[in-house]
Amino acid sequence: MEGVSYQRFPKVKIREMKDDYLKFDLRETDASMANALRRVMLAEVPTIAIDLVEIEVNSSVLNDEFIAHRLGLIPLTSDRAMGMRFSRDCDACDGDGQCEYCSVEFHLKVRCDSDQTLDVTSHDLKSSDPSVVPVDVAQYAESGGYDASEQRGILIVKLRRGQELRLRAIARKGIGKDHAKWSPAATVTFMYEPEFHINEDLMETLTLEEKRDWIESSPTRVFDIDPNTHQVVVVDPEAYTYDDEVIKKAEAMGKPGLVEIYAKEDSFIFTVESTGTIKASQMVINAIEVLKQKLDAVRLSEETEEADDQFGELGAHIRGG
Amino acid sequence: MNAPDRYERFVVPEGTKKVSYERDTKIINAASFTLEREEHTIGNILRMQLHRDPNVLFAGYKLPHPLQYKIIVRIHTTSQSSPMQAYNQAINDLDRELNHLKNAFEEEMMRISREY
Repeated sequence: MEGVSYQRFPKVKIREMKDDYLKFDLRETDASMANALRRVMLAEVPTIAIDLVEIEVNSSVLNDEFIAHRLGLIPLTSDRAMGMRFSRDCDACDGDGQCEYCSVEFHLKVRCDSDQTLDVTSHDLKSSDPSVVPVDVAQYAESGGYDASEQRGILIVKLRRGQELRLRAIARKGIGKDHAKWSPAATVTFMYEPEFHINEDLMETLTLEEKRDWIESSPTRVFDIDPNTHQVVVVDPEAYTYDDEVIKKAEAMGKPGLVEIYAKEDSFIFTVESTGTIKASQMVINAIEVLKQKLDAVRLSEETEEADDQFGELGAHIRGG
Repeated sequence: MNAPDRYERFVVPEGTKKVSYERDTKIINAASFTLEREEHTIGNILRMQLHRDPNVLFAGYKLPHPLQYKIIVRIHTTSQSSPMQAYNQAINDLDRELNHLKNAFEEEMMRISREY
């Protein structure tokens, strides 16, 4: 038993890393691990979102629950979330979700006194914790080209003269499994890395025109012709969508086996996009951490193991002889 | 109207054990583990890890019903091992794999951020 291990040592290679976007290769592990990571990122990495709203005054055109729902969907910066407590197992406040360990309070107080419609946006939400604030979309937009002054937060409701909105909101830690508003992921996908084997001898029996025709049959631009040697080369393996069009085309041209395409069973290309609540790279790290915690939770308790030892061994002897 | 509460999917009710173990009464070295409030995420990685163990003759999991929030992992081993031993080994190996993955990922992040 000791010293025996069937552990794997996965390799990671990051291709592209931005705050809200990450592309990386995961090698030397299997699809179950890749899929577990994907599932955890989508549904079990915690973030913070507004969960309880007390409305004091609402004379806007939208009803209370409509506004409460919109508030819940506003992404909040959640770097603190991993260290926070779920309000259901917070001892400090008996789970009523009103303490600093498990909640963040927001206030919103807006009244329109001019003839122009007033936009109430996520910027009007005042947080009790400077590290938990609405994700500022405008801040990203600055570098992205469009006018930052026009992008003022996330619109909640519009008010006309005399209308008012006053409320108190409690944001809590949660997971995507509970409600999608807590999911940090916009998209998480992975694909098998494809492997191409072009039968060069068979390929050379094709005329240049036929090669072009064959390359054109792929809906995505995977192959191209080398301008010097006139050979068919793979230019973008990841553009391949496993559509089999080029294989069908080769058969239709009377050249079956022109190309063989395999999916590498132990190599995955991940694309992770974040909603802005946490960085995409942090999302992967948190997912690994959450998965570790989940595994730890399903370890057998000592009492279970002992209970089996007592009459288990004996039982096994009786049964097995 | 009669939908179960959302938290039912991931909060283990009080008085319920997260993992329970039941030895098979007919076959030696076979057992079922019931994991409360778990699903494919854990079930599938455990199953695949158990398949890497040559002493495991059978390993499988099922989600009996979409509204029963539990999975059942069944393990059958050779006499060199036991379902409990194989189960513990699988969890330990997965845990170490994840530690390795975390380090590998963080190193790669450092490398990338230095390049920028």
